Amino acid sequence: MRGVPPCSSRSKSRSGSRSRSGSGGSREGGGTMVPPSQYGIKYAGHIISSHFGDLVAKVCECLLRRGPLTHQNIVRFTEMSASQVKNCLLVLIQQNCVQAFSVEHPGGVGDTSRRSTEYLALFDNIIHRMRFPKFVAVVSQELDKECVELFQGLLQHGRLTLEKMIDRAKSGQEDSTAQDATREALSKLANARFVEHCPDPEPHLSPPSEEAPARKRTKSSKMVAEPETIEERVLAAATPMEAKRFLIIFDTTTEEDGQKTGDSFLGVGEKRKSDALESNKELGSDGEQVLWRVNVQEFMHRFRHKACVENVRERLDGGAAVALSAMLEISKSMEKKVKTDNSVPLSINTIYEEVMKGEAGRAMTLDHLRASLVMLGCEKGVDESYKIDLKNIIEQAQNEEVESIVLKRYGQEAYRIFRLLSKANCLLETGKISDTAFVDKKEISKILFRLWKDQFLHMEKIVVTGPRQTQFLLWKVDKTTLWPHVLDEMYHAVLNLNLRVAYELEKENELLNLPIEKRSGPLEKRYNRLRTVRLLLESSLMKLDDAIMLFHDF
Amino acid sequence: MSKRKRPDSNVPPSQSMTEQEKILYSLIQSKQDSGIWSRDMKRETSLPDNVVDKSLKSLLSKGLIKEVVNVQFKGRKHYLASEFEPSPELTGGKWYNEEGRLESEFINFLKDQCLKHIRNLKIATVDMVADTIQRSRVLKVEYSSHEIGDIVRALVLDNDVIEMRSNGVGEFASIPTGRMCYKCSRSPDAAKEARVGAMASIPCGVCPRIAHCTPGGIISPTTCEYYTSKIRTMDSLLSHPGIRPVTCA
Repeated sequence: MRGVPPCSSRSKSRSGSRSRSGSGGSREGGGTMVPPSQYGIKYAGHIISSHFGDLVAKVCECLLRRGPLTHQNIVRFTEMSASQVKNCLLVLIQQNCVQAFSVEHPGGVGDTSRRSTEYLALFDNIIHRMRFPKFVAVVSQELDKECVELFQGLLQHGRLTLEKMIDRAKSGQEDSTAQDATREALSKLANARFVEHCPDPEPHLSPPSEEAPARKRTKSSKMVAEPETIEERVLAAATPMEAKRFLIIFDTTTEEDGQKTGDSFLGVGEKRKSDALESNKELGSDGEQVLWRVNVQEFMHRFRHKACVENVRERLDGGAAVALSAMLEISKSMEKKVKTDNSVPLSINTIYEEVMKGEAGRAMTLDHLRASLVMLGCEKGVDESYKIDLKNIIEQAQNEEVESIVLKRYGQEAYRIFRLLSKANCLLETGKISDTAFVDKKEISKILFRLWKDQFLHMEKIVVTGPRQTQFLLWKVDKTTLWPHVLDEMYHAVLNLNLRVAYELEKENELLNLPIEKRSGPLEKRYNRLRTVRLLLESSLMKLDDAIMLFHDF
Repeated sequence: MSKRKRPDSNVPPSQSMTEQEKILYSLIQSKQDSGIWSRDMKRETSLPDNVVDKSLKSLLSKGLIKEVVNVQFKGRKHYLASEFEPSPELTGGKWYNEEGRLESEFINFLKDQCLKHIRNLKIATVDMVADTIQRSRVLKVEYSSHEIGDIVRALVLDNDVIEMRSNGVGEFASIPTGRMCYKCSRSPDAAKEARVGAMASIPCGVCPRIAHCTPGGIISPTTCEYYTSKIRTMDSLLSHPGIRPVTCA
C-alpha cells in the first residue's frame, strides 16, 4: 500500500522514488546499477514465465532483483539445482535476455586474483519481447515475404547461424534454392540493419580504474564525469564493433580448386576485396557460423522517430509532420545512437527534396515548408539550415500523457494546476496557484494534497517566524521522481491488462477450441464478439506499450 | 497591500474610548486594508479575552471598525478600520463574490468569450482580445487588459489555447516580433477534450486503487469491476444490430 510521504517543517518533502525496487542484493560486478522498478520486474517476470515457464522466470527475476550474479549464487538464492539453473541460463542467453561476462576479483593477502563468470539480466530486451509483432510489421512494410519469414525465425529462436537459417528454410524446397533465398533474405535484413551479429558471449570486464575514463557529458559546458552502470559497461564490452556488426561473409566453394573463398557484404553497401578474407577472420566473421539476432536498436530508432512525427501531427498539423518526417529520414543514417537530442542541421533544399518524394509532400510549396519548420520550432542556422530538438518533442509527448492521466483521474481543476506547475518548473505558493489556475481558495488545498499523496506533486513547507509564525506551502512537479513513478504505474497497468486478456480467453476456452464446423448460429456470433473484444483489448495493450516506450525514451 | 491615503490615527473627539479600546483600535488601524484576526489581537495586546471581545463590540457599535470575511479562513472574525476596503488577499480579488466564493460561472463565460474572439482573430495578443471584448460591450463592468490576460492564460492551462511568441512572419505578420500571442489549439469541430492518452484510456490508468491492486489480491485485474464494466460495454455495443464484429477465417 502506498504510504503518505513525510513532510518536515524545515525541509523538502520528496515524493520519493517509490517506484524503484531497491534491491539490496549482491553487486559482485562492481559499479552502480539502476534496478528496474517494482512492477517493471513483475512484468518482465510475467513475460518470461508466459514464454519459457516458471523455472526460467525464477532465475530471471532473481537476476533482475539482485543484479549480476554467479551461477553459484543464483543456485543459492533460487534454491534450484545447479543443472536447472544452467539450463535456464542457456535459454535466457539464447533468447538475448541475459548476458554473461567475466570479471576479476582481487585476491586476499598472498592470494592471486580470480576470475568468475557472472550473468546480467537485460531488462529492456525482456520487455522488447512484447513488441515482436510491431517489429514484424515494420519488416513486412519494407521487405519481402522471405525476409519476414527469416526474421520471424530469428525472433522465435533468439539467435541463429546462417547454417541453421538455411536448414529451417530447406523443408520442402531444393537445397540450392533455399540456400540462395536465405542468403539473399539475410543480406537484405542486414542491409536494412534489422539484424546484427550477436555480442561477445563472455566479454571480460576490467575493474573501472583500468578502463578508459568515464563518459563525460558533452551537452553543456559543465564536463561532469558520469559513472557508467554495470549494464552499460557489459553491453559496451560485448557489442561487436560497428564495422563487424552487420558484416556478412558467405562461404562459397569453387569446383576447380575446392578452396573456400569469401564474398562479403557490408551493411552500408561498401565492397571489400576477396583478399580481405584474412582480416575478416580476424574480425571473427566466419561465414555461416556467425550467430545473428534481431537488432532491436534499429526498431527503437524508428519507433522514436514515428512517435515524434505523430506527436507533431496531433499537436501542430500535417505539414509540420511531413517536414519533420523528411528531416528524420535524411538524418537517420547519420544518427549513431537511438536517443539523439537534436537532429543534424539540414539545408532547406535537402529537406524539400526529401519532402517531394512522398505523396503528402508533393503539394507543399517551399514557403509552406519554411512555415512548417518555423512552427516546429526548428533552430535556423547559416545558409538557411535547420535542425530540430527531438528531446523537446519527446518531453512534450510525455507531458501530454501524464496530463491526460491527471485530467481523467482528478478532474479539470487538477489538470490546470498540474499544467501550471509543469510549465513553471519551479516552486509556487498555494495562493499563487489558486489565482493563476482559477481554482477556489477553499478547494485548492484539497486538490493539491490529493495530487501530492499520489506522488504527482512535490511539496515544501516554509515557516516564517516573526510576531506570528506563518506557514506557506510550496508546490512543484518534480519530473525526476514523477516520471519513474508513472512508468512503474504503466508497467503495472500493462501487466494487469495482459492478465485480464488471458483470464477472458481462459474463461471461453471451450468456445475458442471448438472446431469451426461446430460453431454456428449464436455460438458463432459469441465467438466473433469474443474475438473482437480480444482485439480491442490487445489494441489497448499495443497503445499502452507505445506509451511505455515513450516514457522509457526508447 | 493597495496604496491608500494614510488616515489620521487620532480618534475623532466626539468618540470617547476606553484605554483598551484605544489600544485595539490603534492596532486595527495599523493593519490598514489587511485587517487583523481577533485571536491575533488578543495575542499581540495580551489583553484578557473578555476585555477584547467587549471592546470590539463597542468599536463596532461606534462604527469605527467593521467585520469582514477572510476568503481563506471563513470561520475567523476579521476586523478592519472602517475607512479601509479589504485587500484582495482577504476578498480573493475581483474574481470572488461577497460570500468569498469564486465566480466560476462568470469566469467560464469570460473564457468562452475570449476563446471565441481568439478563434475569429486566428492569432491574437491579450490586448487585441481585451479590445475586442470591450468593443463587443458584452460586459457591464470594465476589465483591464491584465485581467483579460489572466483569463487567456487560464485557457492555456485548459489546453484550449496555445501560447507562442511572434516571429513577425507568416501568420504572425501583423504582430510585432517577440510579443506573446495566442491561437486555438483545436478547430471548433474537433472534440472538446484533447486526445486521451494511452494510460488514461484504460481502467488502470484512472483507477484510484491501482496501488492496492495485485494479482490474486482483494483488488486484482481478474476481478476488477472497471474491466468487467468496460468489457460489458464493448459486448453490448457489438451486439447492436448496426455493428458487425470481426469475422474469423
